[in-house]
Amino acid sequence: MKKGIVVIAGFSVLLLLMVGGDGYAQDAQTIVADSFNYWRGEASIATVTMRIHRADWERSYTIKAWTKGEKESLFTILSPPKDEGNGTLKRGSEMWMYNPKIDRVIKVPPSMMSQSWMGSDFSNNDLAKSDSLLYDYTHTLTGTEVDEGTMVYLITSIPKPDAPVVWGMQKLKIREDLIFLREEFYDEDQKLVKALDFYDIQILGGRRYPRVMKMQKTEAPDEYTLVEYDDLTFEETLSDDLFTLSALKTPRR
Amino acid sequence: MHLQLAWRNIWRNPRRTTIITIAVVVGVWSMLVVGALDRGMIDQMVRNAIATLTGDIQIHHDGYRSDPVIENSIADPKDVHNALARHLPEGSFWTARVRVNAIVSNARYSTGVTLVGIDPESEARVSFIKTAVVDGHYLASDDTTGILVGRALVDKFETKVGHKLVLMSQDTEREIASRAFRITGTFRAELEATERQFVFVNKAAAQEMLKAGNGISEVSLFLPDHETVDMVRDKLKASLPPAYEVETWRELLPIITAYLSIMDSWIFIWYLVVFIAMGFGIVNTMLMAVFERIREFGLLTALGMKPWWIIKGVLLEAFFLLIMGMAVGNAFGFASVFILNRTGIDLSALGAGAEYVGLPRVIYPTVYIQDVITANVVVFVLGLLITIYPAAKASRFTPVEALAHI
Amino acid sequence: MSIVECKDVKKAYRQDHLFVQALGGITVTVARGAFVAIAGPSGSGKTTLLNLIGGLDTADSGRITVDEKTVTSMRQSELAVLRLYKIGFVFQSYNLIPVLSALENVEYVMLLQGVPQRERRERACSILDEVGLKEMYHRRPAELSGGQQQRVAVARAIVSNPSIVLADEPTANLDSKTGKELLQLMEKMNEEREITFIFSTHDQMVMDYARRLIILRDGLVTDDRSRDP
Repeated sequence: MKKGIVVIAGFSVLLLLMVGGDGYAQDAQTIVADSFNYWRGEASIATVTMRIHRADWERSYTIKAWTKGEKESLFTILSPPKDEGNGTLKRGSEMWMYNPKIDRVIKVPPSMMSQSWMGSDFSNNDLAKSDSLLYDYTHTLTGTEVDEGTMVYLITSIPKPDAPVVWGMQKLKIREDLIFLREEFYDEDQKLVKALDFYDIQILGGRRYPRVMKMQKTEAPDEYTLVEYDDLTFEETLSDDLFTLSALKTPRR
Repeated sequence: MHLQLAWRNIWRNPRRTTIITIAVVVGVWSMLVVGALDRGMIDQMVRNAIATLTGDIQIHHDGYRSDPVIENSIADPKDVHNALARHLPEGSFWTARVRVNAIVSNARYSTGVTLVGIDPESEARVSFIKTAVVDGHYLASDDTTGILVGRALVDKFETKVGHKLVLMSQDTEREIASRAFRITGTFRAELEATERQFVFVNKAAAQEMLKAGNGISEVSLFLPDHETVDMVRDKLKASLPPAYEVETWRELLPIITAYLSIMDSWIFIWYLVVFIAMGFGIVNTMLMAVFERIREFGLLTALGMKPWWIIKGVLLEAFFLLIMGMAVGNAFGFASVFILNRTGIDLSALGAGAEYVGLPRVIYPTVYIQDVITANVVVFVLGLLITIYPAAKASRFTPVEALAHI
Repeated sequence: MSIVECKDVKKAYRQDHLFVQALGGITVTVARGAFVAIAGPSGSGKTTLLNLIGGLDTADSGRITVDEKTVTSMRQSELAVLRLYKIGFVFQSYNLIPVLSALENVEYVMLLQGVPQRERRERACSILDEVGLKEMYHRRPAELSGGQQQRVAVARAIVSNPSIVLADEPTANLDSKTGKELLQLMEKMNEEREITFIFSTHDQMVMDYARRLIILRDGLVTDDRSRDP
């Protein structure tokens, strides 16, 4: 089924390239939505290593992650031991965090949403509003390029006028097989603030998938966060019980 | 004749009299000027605070002040409107606001602020905000995406008029509410902290964002006569259900109120310090004057003058010196304050330090009649009291020693 | 009838570490209306005796009465009242208050006595006329000669009609002509107003004016003789 969509999308692009004009944006919309869904899957279980790199130190966490649809995810830390059991639950645009040492669940308040998630280059907002790209932007296909023999869509995403997003613009590179290569975040003056790169595309969980993500702020070249998939499985669905506050406290391994 | 005698006595040594008088003049002058500076400063602080957002009186729903979240708002302001319509004196203004803590962010920065949803028209008559806009323009009543931001925040966020800010807060359902606004104008405030703390949007926009319906957080009142504050507060309190809190600026600004009460003691202490410096001068000079005239006091005693009369004579001399010094000192003091009051004293050169302690940028010294009275009473009464010492010395010279004294 | 009575009056001063016996037991009586000179070399006790009679100093022992009031048992405040109403003083020098005019100096004593202003002014003027200072009402002491100053002092001493005037070496700073004029003035006042005058001196010319001469030496009366009228 997925393949079908890709094919249709590919045809549409070609069609629109020839026709030009208004429909173009609509099409970019589809590419973004499809690749987002491809990336997320219906549901997934993954084990990742997150490496937070700074000029004078580096820290890594092993995290187990469950996702379901566009809106639900659960993360729990497996190592290092001192952080084991720390968890984050996201449902819709709300987030909760659990700290086993004090055995408390806190709902992430608005004031913490723009803060860094676990000290990384991702903010809580990046996680909580990961699907914002789908709803808050108008996407326009601005061109294509070829990367290692594969066509890559270059998409410029402009936030809708009233959308509560801080970015002035995003630029996306999406391979024709719907794999994200790069997501760039610009401010309102069209200056690049940070970029998320996807590397090392291989077969993961039965589909082609970028094994490594790297988030880096433009202003701090020697600071970045790497997320590497150690293991990834896609599921048809996952139980709703997994994305509850009690599951946050005692996640399944 | 006692007056003439005392008056002529003080002019026997014009230089000494001039010195004492100058000491009193400088003392009284510095009392008045420093007192007026302090008063001007605190007045300015009070006025800033009231004009910034406090107003003379505020009405809140019970609990809002301790936990300023949208759930503690006045859900239906009808009661308040009725009470205001009935009890506000002629010439009063009031405005209703939504006021919650929020996070403002743009692509690079993010910080906590107080989100104030205002009714642009009535707000303009109550608080500083309309006149404080320096770039861009004030909020239009129908502009539901506009936001007014302080100069300092704009600088910190490296943004400008026309750019977007995203506000996040908690709505009435305890969900995260966020909404994008565009900067329509930037404002300046007396305190940089104010510029960093407050952002203003239309009340309707805030209510929509927070899912607050018609709910408001506070009503702020501006009265034509500030003396009637307590009276109006009591009337409003009596006519509103107990779930409402009606408070005057004194209750709303406890720190400034505390400051005000400290100020009285502080000014009095300052007067005493100045007086002690001045008092030593007076006592010394009077002692010199008395010892120079030992023979004369001896003669007066011999003629049958009682000690008390001699004390009175010396006190009378001090009285003239004090009165002269006070007259000139008050004149200079009033003149200085008058001039400084017209130009104002610009503290912005002090920069961040002054800002930090909450000083206004410009101080207009203000004379309080009670301070003038206190200063003069302190100088006069204490001046006479300390002169009792040299006067008592004068009265104790026995005629035999005194007349033998060369 | 005597106005001053001294009975075995003794007074010693402590000077550095020595006690100096200023008066060694004086017994003297002065009659009302007398014009008495107390004479003797310096250190003989003249001034001390006058001070004791005037209540400016207190005796160690003995008894002094002035106008039937016992000075030696009075408190300071009573002495002040006595001096104010009953006794006039003329000193050798520094008799006047320098910032007051001649007229005001005379008036000042009456002010202390509580005499109403109008009366004060009239009495001061007439007494100054009497002592020959009609043109000098408004001069300050510094603008008057030594003799004129002493005349003002005499005017002040007698203006309130005291029982006695005590004058301590009143002529000592005056030339002999002026001194003589002052004595003549005092004598005139003594005769016209019947005020008792007791003055100390070591000047022969002054002694000659006195109708009674008491000579002191080392704190004791060595001679007391009256001139025949």
